[in-house]
Amino acid sequence: MLFNSYLFIFGFLPFVLLGFYLLGERQRDWALLWLTVASLVFYAWWRPINVLLIAPSILINYGLARALQRTGETRPTLAKAILTLGIVFNICFLGYFKYRMFIEGSLNDVFGTGFILTRLILPLGISFITFQKIAFLVDVQAGRVTQFSLRDYGLFVLFFPQLIAGPIVHYREMMPQFRAAPCRFDATNVSVGITLFSFGLAKKLLLADPLGSLVAPIYGHAAAGIPASLTDAWIAALGFTLQIYFDFSGYTDMALGLARFFGIKLPLNFNSPLKAPNIIDFWLRWHVSLTRFLTAYIYNPLTLSLTRRRAARGKAVFGGRNTTIPAFLTLLAMPTILTMLISGLWHGAGYTFILWGLLHGVFLCVNHAWRVIRPRIWPDTRTYNQRMAPIGFVVTFLSVVFAMVLFRAPTVGAALMLWKGMVGIHGVVLPWVVLFDLGSFGNFLVSLGVQRAWTSGALLLDATVRIAVLLAIALALPNTLEILAAYEPALGVKPAKTPSLILRWLAWRPTDAWAVGLACVTLAGVLSLGELSEFLYWQF
Amino acid sequence: MENPRRFIRIWLTTLAGLAALVVMVNLLVDPYDVFGTPRIAGISTFKPKADDHPMLAKTYQVARVRPATVVIGTSVADIGIDASDPVWPQAMRPVYNFGIPGSTAIGNLETLQEAVATGAIENAIVFLDFDNFLIPQPPGKTLSDDEQRLHGLLGGAPNASRPMQVAEDMFLSTATMRALNDSVTTVVQQWVPDPSDMASDGSSIKQEFVTAAQTEGMHNLFAQKDVYDAERMGTVAHVLAASNGPTANLDTVAAIIAFTRAHGVKLTLAITPRHSDELEIYWHLGLWPRVEQFKTELAALVATQGNGVRLWDFMDYSAFTTEPVPPEGDLRTATRWFWDPNHFKRALGRIMVAQILGEDAPAFGVVLTPDNVAQRNAAVRAQRQAFVCGNSAVLAAASDRPTTDGCVAVETAAKQRGPT
Repeated sequence: MLFNSYLFIFGFLPFVLLGFYLLGERQRDWALLWLTVASLVFYAWWRPINVLLIAPSILINYGLARALQRTGETRPTLAKAILTLGIVFNICFLGYFKYRMFIEGSLNDVFGTGFILTRLILPLGISFITFQKIAFLVDVQAGRVTQFSLRDYGLFVLFFPQLIAGPIVHYREMMPQFRAAPCRFDATNVSVGITLFSFGLAKKLLLADPLGSLVAPIYGHAAAGIPASLTDAWIAALGFTLQIYFDFSGYTDMALGLARFFGIKLPLNFNSPLKAPNIIDFWLRWHVSLTRFLTAYIYNPLTLSLTRRRAARGKAVFGGRNTTIPAFLTLLAMPTILTMLISGLWHGAGYTFILWGLLHGVFLCVNHAWRVIRPRIWPDTRTYNQRMAPIGFVVTFLSVVFAMVLFRAPTVGAALMLWKGMVGIHGVVLPWVVLFDLGSFGNFLVSLGVQRAWTSGALLLDATVRIAVLLAIALALPNTLEILAAYEPALGVKPAKTPSLILRWLAWRPTDAWAVGLACVTLAGVLSLGELSEFLYWQF
Repeated sequence: MENPRRFIRIWLTTLAGLAALVVMVNLLVDPYDVFGTPRIAGISTFKPKADDHPMLAKTYQVARVRPATVVIGTSVADIGIDASDPVWPQAMRPVYNFGIPGSTAIGNLETLQEAVATGAIENAIVFLDFDNFLIPQPPGKTLSDDEQRLHGLLGGAPNASRPMQVAEDMFLSTATMRALNDSVTTVVQQWVPDPSDMASDGSSIKQEFVTAAQTEGMHNLFAQKDVYDAERMGTVAHVLAASNGPTANLDTVAAIIAFTRAHGVKLTLAITPRHSDELEIYWHLGLWPRVEQFKTELAALVATQGNGVRLWDFMDYSAFTTEPVPPEGDLRTATRWFWDPNHFKRALGRIMVAQILGEDAPAFGVVLTPDNVAQRNAAVRAQRQAFVCGNSAVLAAASDRPTTDGCVAVETAAKQRGPT
């Protein structure tokens, strides 16, 4: 069931909320049980078999967690073995469904093996659920989670607002909220929830989806081996970057809003990443909960382990501006690239995703290396930030757009085709009418090698205007979290200490003016429900 | 005042009020002419957005018009035939133009069935595009949305999915953002010169042709379509290269003939004219034998099965179809007979209708029979020879190209085209 469907908005959601509030008036436990059952129905809606796949996994993880809890303090070696077993089980579960075909296909390609490739039913949200379950086991083993029941664990895994595409949540940040939630109608929570959900719906349907039809033919042509001109390639790259930006931003707002209806605050997941002045900051704004997971459960343990080994051998470790090249390569570059490789693989079973992850790993390494080198060549941090921040922003933006081609291109060859187009290798082609309207300057462009296309200039104009407007929205306006900051729209989000003028003007309050304005936004979203489209991140 | 309960109340009230307003606006403007709301001057006289959903609009229009004569075909008929033209005799009125852009031969049969389902059809003129008879186009395995709203299925069985589709049509035409956008666009378009329109009789006027002609010039319209069609037809020619089989989809024409005979409808078939730019694409892709085969087999089919059916052929190198295209950069000179290599203008449509109805009109087209088809094919070849000789400079680049490279050839020809 899609969040952006009539069935969900006018059927499932009101029904579930009504049941939740009515049951909550009598008995909180009933309300939470109702929410768990409703989440199961939500999960089963597309393919009931999904429940048969996910339920045993939940039970096994719960059993392992209980075993960990019993053995954790008294028999640490056994606990470690159980944790390893749990992690391997979850990775194999994910791998079987998500990566089997990719691995077999790769083996066929490289070694000429004869695996027959069969597409398996991929359980919805499996990548998100797997990471949550692994994090839970690690937290239990580390003693960060001590109290849990099967019912609580089931609700934690299945809670439908974040079930399919995150945010990736921790048991320890969710269960205290469930235990404290009043499970009754709360006007403040509902009004915040309505606002978040409406913003998300509008972003998805009004801003993101229309870009799909703009970029799809260009990626399709690239996949068919048709070269893309400079303008087409940039429309494809920028268009898809903005499409996934507003799609994921919209989904996240909707998830935050839905959770808020039940009195739950989900963690921060999306915070205007295109405004990032550097790639490190980008990853602290884009899919924040994934970055948090990868950092806490892959990058940090790996770096810690390597640091201990190097220290034990008496070698230099990472030490700010005094870092040596071997220390940087071993303790930062290698773990970063490995972590981002896993991030790429997590997003999809394909070479394009692997390359996307590796490319971001390289970007992060360059950024980290610059942080080590820069103080030596430009010691004054204040003037550096003043002068270089705009350049940093542009470089980061272009890097993200460049890499995002891999995220959308169906093959590496198609991505290469578009990259060549972006740097002008396939030439510059403009509609005849544009060159004609430019008069002598148009002739000058033709003399420089710009080619004429017998296509309408209206299409190019439409694409340019749309991309420009959406870029302005993404880069110049405050985001939903900032607008609703006074009401903690995501866990831990607080109002800015010195809000900008526009933010002060736009700051959300449950006022009459906001109610009327929001009704217009909601209506625009609801009236656009006719053409169903999945969220891009649901495929992961 | 900050009050969450009041906020929710006002939000809900405003939402409901605005939703009702949107539905009312869409009903009033009726952008797709689904409801038949009377057209209001300054608000909804022209229906430019009905053109985006021609099957939706025309299925409901034809039921309201209940025409005595229906024109069937693709966008060529949709744009080129004016159902309100004085050329139509009173006895044949009301006339309805059921031309659907992109329609196939099967689509022609479906729209004909739908028109006859209104219960008033006495005459049908079906315009046949040559390129719909190259590749077999069997009926789809599942019904499209457009087919689901038809009264009957192919073969005549009632369509059980119609009520659901009609309900969906009503909803999507009133309670969606697209409908609202289209209503607003409809109102705005009333105030621009030469707006697009789909009249109540189904005839369409395309503003984009007029605008493109004025801003980009007729040359660009032709050149753009030349390149596109050379690519499209090049693919078809490549597929057909090893095939010497019969003309595709003639069984559908046979079904059209049988259907009209069974329902007492007087049928006229007409092969649509193409501009010489398009005809040259066929020549250079090696498709001309297919053109002649199409005409020959169609004439034989009509003679054997079409008791009383007449087949008109307008596909030739006449003075109409070889009209010169203004040179590149000329934004003033308009063509008289064609919008682009495929779409003839209403002026030519009137002449064709007059010919079909036996009224006074300049000579254009012939009635094809098995007896005269060979002669007609030879005459068109001779017309082409004369045309090529008279325009050798323009066509030099194209004629020297190998047949498999038609796209490049025609593009070159289009670019080199000057005043003739």
